[in-house]
Amino acid sequence: MVSIRLRKVFVPVVVSLSLMTVACAPEPPSRYDQVQKETSQKGSSAVSKEAINGSKLNRYFPKSGSGFAVVPSQEKKGFAEHKVSRGGKNVAVLSINDTISNPSAAEKYQQSSVKIGGFPAVEQGQNGTGVLVGDRFQVKAQSRDPSFTKQDRAAWIQKFDLNGLSTLK
Amino acid sequence: MSKPIFKEVDDLPTGGLTVTALKSLDFLIPGQWQNLTGFDNTIRAVTGETDEALIQQIGERAVALYNDKSQGYQRALWLYETVESGSGLLGAAALANRIGQDSFLGFLKNITPKPEKAQSIDLCVKLVTELVAFCQINGIPGDSIGDFLAALGDYSGESLMRMAALVSFDGVIPLGPEFANKALSIFDSTSPQELEGNQTYKSVQELIPGGGSSEKKGFITKSFDSTKNWMQSFVSAKNVTREGLLSRLKGFIDFTDDKADYVGALLDMNVKYYRHTGLQTLARRLVERAVAEI
Repeated sequence: MVSIRLRKVFVPVVVSLSLMTVACAPEPPSRYDQVQKETSQKGSSAVSKEAINGSKLNRYFPKSGSGFAVVPSQEKKGFAEHKVSRGGKNVAVLSINDTISNPSAAEKYQQSSVKIGGFPAVEQGQNGTGVLVGDRFQVKAQSRDPSFTKQDRAAWIQKFDLNGLSTLK
Repeated sequence: MSKPIFKEVDDLPTGGLTVTALKSLDFLIPGQWQNLTGFDNTIRAVTGETDEALIQQIGERAVALYNDKSQGYQRALWLYETVESGSGLLGAAALANRIGQDSFLGFLKNITPKPEKAQSIDLCVKLVTELVAFCQINGIPGDSIGDFLAALGDYSGESLMRMAALVSFDGVIPLGPEFANKALSIFDSTSPQELEGNQTYKSVQELIPGGGSSEKKGFITKSFDSTKNWMQSFVSAKNVTREGLLSRLKGFIDFTDDKADYVGALLDMNVKYYRHTGLQTLARRLVERAVAEI
């Protein structure tokens, strides 16, 4: 009897205490805490003032054709993105970004021994292929559907006006 | 300091009234909206990548871009949040406590359905907020209605769900199937002074293009007029009716037909679909940019 009564009191007390501990505990650490701290400080910026406007990058993208629709989808400072769709389904994303804002993106091309369209190329992850044009502009093709292969990515990168882009200042 | 973007996305609810109300609209756009929550989940879903080091790199760039105020992402989230809080009076918690209790119908009596004028202004302002937030996220200049329309035709996933919810919860339920023409003519007859007295307008007016309320009103009218056809064809193509929507909602909110008038007000106060799907859109676009830039 006593033990049952004790349990009746004891269990709710323990449960509420543990709930309180959980509720009052500090936030669990996140793998992004460090970058959050660094980039939320006053004066910190992710995009350089010298970066080329996205509107100037659109003209170097491939155009729609052969059953593929290429539609502009983002245009920010130092960045432009166009989506590639076939039959209304998004199959790939094409982009140009100005690495003046994040030079570490350009560094990975230094080790590259492969070229696409005459420019140093890298494979990134399972779905991305990029080239560095004029030591500054990163041109990428990313698959968004298995039907768009690594070979397709290389072929589409060559559809950009890479030589034109290499002269952009 | 504002809340970190990874925390915002991690904290998106997986259930509750907003998510349930949105799920009730699945029949309009079958399978188009999955309730994608969690920052790393979003990165995986958008990019299809699984390598943890790569996910970390993408996430770090996304956090940095979000924290750079000049990039507009924080302003977009503020817009999605603010346009909804302008009309909400009671918290979801208060409602949740009443649902399933005998007093629920009594509780409904305390809610006054919004007058058609206020509802029309809300609808028009919410639509313009979508246009402004779209431009903050995607960077197309704030007064480019043409680009917005091209993109509206290309809306998918959570953006399409947001529009479906706008048409349903802020259009058809409170104003009926002819909501678009009705709202536009009511909005047109609203004076700039009356507009200034509307809570929803007041909350976001500083980011609506135009010098004063008169110019801003012109911009809202023009934007609404341009998207009217899209909304109307959505309603007729999907055969959206008040009765159809209400019968789906009955699956999770208990109300009798004579209380249907109150459902619009109830949704208005407790369903934060603009913020919920707006944050999902923002996170997706941010990740798209981050993966392209690393």
